[in-house]
Amino acid sequence: METEKRPNYLYVFMTLAVFTLIETLVSYMREAVIKIPILVILAVVKAALVLLYFMHLKYDSKVFSYLFIAGCLLSIPLILVLVVVMPMIL
Amino acid sequence: MSETHPTAPVAQRENTKLAMWVFLGGEVVFFVSLILLIIFTRLTHTGYEAQFRSHLSIPVIALNTFILVTSSYFVVRSLEAISYKGDQKGLRTNMIMVIVLGLLFLGGQAFEWSELFAAGVNLSTIYGSPFFTVTGIHGTHVFVGILWAVYLLVGHQRMPFTKENHLGVENFGLYWHFVDIVWIVLFTIIYLI
Repeated sequence: METEKRPNYLYVFMTLAVFTLIETLVSYMREAVIKIPILVILAVVKAALVLLYFMHLKYDSKVFSYLFIAGCLLSIPLILVLVVVMPMIL
Repeated sequence: MSETHPTAPVAQRENTKLAMWVFLGGEVVFFVSLILLIIFTRLTHTGYEAQFRSHLSIPVIALNTFILVTSSYFVVRSLEAISYKGDQKGLRTNMIMVIVLGLLFLGGQAFEWSELFAAGVNLSTIYGSPFFTVTGIHGTHVFVGILWAVYLLVGHQRMPFTKENHLGVENFGLYWHFVDIVWIVLFTIIYLI
C-alpha cells in the first residue's frame, strides 16, 4: 500500500454480507425483468468493493488497476465470440 | 510464494506484487471463458435448466458465499495486524480463521456435490459438465489458497513477517480476494439468475 489511508474493513464486510442476504432474497422473485438487473448490479457492487477496499486498488498504484482492467479488456473478444456464435446455434 | 529478503530494495519487493497483478489479469481471462461456458450452456439448453436448478440449494450456497466473504474479511484483518501494528499473534489468529473458513467453504461445496451426485447429476450430464468444471476449478483455487495460508502460518516461523516486510501476506490477500470475487460472480450467474 502506498499511502497510510485505512478503510473501515468492518463496514465493507458488513455491506458485503447484507448484499449477499439481499441477493439471496431477490433470487426468489419470479419477475426476471426486475430480478436480473438487481442481481447483476449487486454482484458488480460487491466485486467493486472487494477490489477497491480489500485489494486496496483505491489506494494503491494505478498500474495495478490497469493490469486488472487489461485482463477485463482481453476478455471482450471471448464475449464477442459468444455473441456472434449464439445466433448461429439458436 | 517465496518472500523476498527483508533487506531487498523496495522496488524489488514490490515487483512480486506487480507479478501477482499480472497473474490475476490472466486469471480474469481464464475465469471469464469458464463463465461464458456456463452462459452458453444455459442459453443453448433451456429445456434442462429447470430440472438442474431444482437440485441446487440456494440457502446452503448463500451460507457458503457468506463464509467466503467472511474469510476475505479475516485476510484483511491479518494484513492490518502485521502491517500497522507488527502484531504476530494477530496475524496468526486471523490466518487460522482464514484456513478454517476456507475448509468450511470446501466442506459446503463437497456437501453440495454429494447431493447432486445422489440426485443423478454428474459430469456426463449437460448441465453437470460445465457446473462441476467451473465450481471444481474455483474450489481448486480455494484449496491452493488454503495451502498458501498454511505455508504463511507455518513456513515463516524462521523469518517471520514484520511491520516493514509483509508483502507475502499482501500477495496472498490479493489472490484470496480475487478467488472471492470469482465466487461472487459465479454465485450470481449459476445460482441466483
